[in-house]
Amino acid sequence: MSQIPDSKHMTATLGTRILGSVAVAAVLLMTLLGLVVSPEDLVQGHAVRMLYLHVPSIWIAYAAFVLTAASSVLFLIRSRSRADGGRHHDRLAGSAAEVGVLFAGITLVTGMLWGRVTWGTYWQWDARLTTTVLLFVTYLGYLALRRLPADPIVRGRRSAVMALISFVNVPIVHFSVDWWRTLHQKASLSVGRRPEITGEMYWTLLYSTLTVTVVASWLIVHRYRVIRLEELRDEEALNALIASRLREDDVGN
Amino acid sequence: MSDIAAVATGWGLTFVVVATYALWVVGRGKTIGRELGIGKRQVLGPGSDSSTPASS
Repeated sequence: MSQIPDSKHMTATLGTRILGSVAVAAVLLMTLLGLVVSPEDLVQGHAVRMLYLHVPSIWIAYAAFVLTAASSVLFLIRSRSRADGGRHHDRLAGSAAEVGVLFAGITLVTGMLWGRVTWGTYWQWDARLTTTVLLFVTYLGYLALRRLPADPIVRGRRSAVMALISFVNVPIVHFSVDWWRTLHQKASLSVGRRPEITGEMYWTLLYSTLTVTVVASWLIVHRYRVIRLEELRDEEALNALIASRLREDDVGN
Repeated sequence: MSDIAAVATGWGLTFVVVATYALWVVGRGKTIGRELGIGKRQVLGPGSDSSTPASS
């Protein structure tokens, strides 16, 4: 018998509607702060406004890939013991990785545009840029692996292993500017180190990071729910196929 | 490319990409919700109620 879809299978709830409204309002304020209120930089001019997209984007990509890795570990540990086969963790890993790839792509594009203005070139094969593009490509591979047809649990295990392999590159990307001499500047904000920027630029960057976190959270929650709907649809299709085969067998007998 | 053109392109592309992805996710949820019959009142058994819309 097929499962009856109910309110817990919706992609939007009161909570996500509130979160979505907060995200839209926060983005409008972020645009005002980033493009109007925040001053020009003495050296970079208006190009410094790329900072408010570029840095929050890579922060969210890191956070999303940490979530993917943690969920993948939990999936590998708990998939045998949980009634649902640990698919909750698999869905969370998949939705976070997709949003992480989206923001890693934004990081690359905004970085290239910023580099064109400040360095005079869109691209240099230096350590930070090369490891970042490698990060983007490996997580694209992870998303491709998730789409290969297979038993959900088997596919989940393969994807979890791939997620953990891909995650090795995250600290390499982050510390590449400290470990190697690169064209890329060091981190603008870093725990235990005085920030490279101050005043309105500093607060606008912090606010932008918070805003992008809210937007990404909304995207991850919705994507998680869509993956659950896709699984329900696949189960319904399989149940219908089995019922059809059983009816054909009954008629044949 | 001037600094203003780079900023306009970067911010514009970011908004377009994120908005397109968000609309795709919401739209996909609605489409699959309709395929599953979420949003239609179904008489599938005692106490079943699936009259809430799939997404918004």
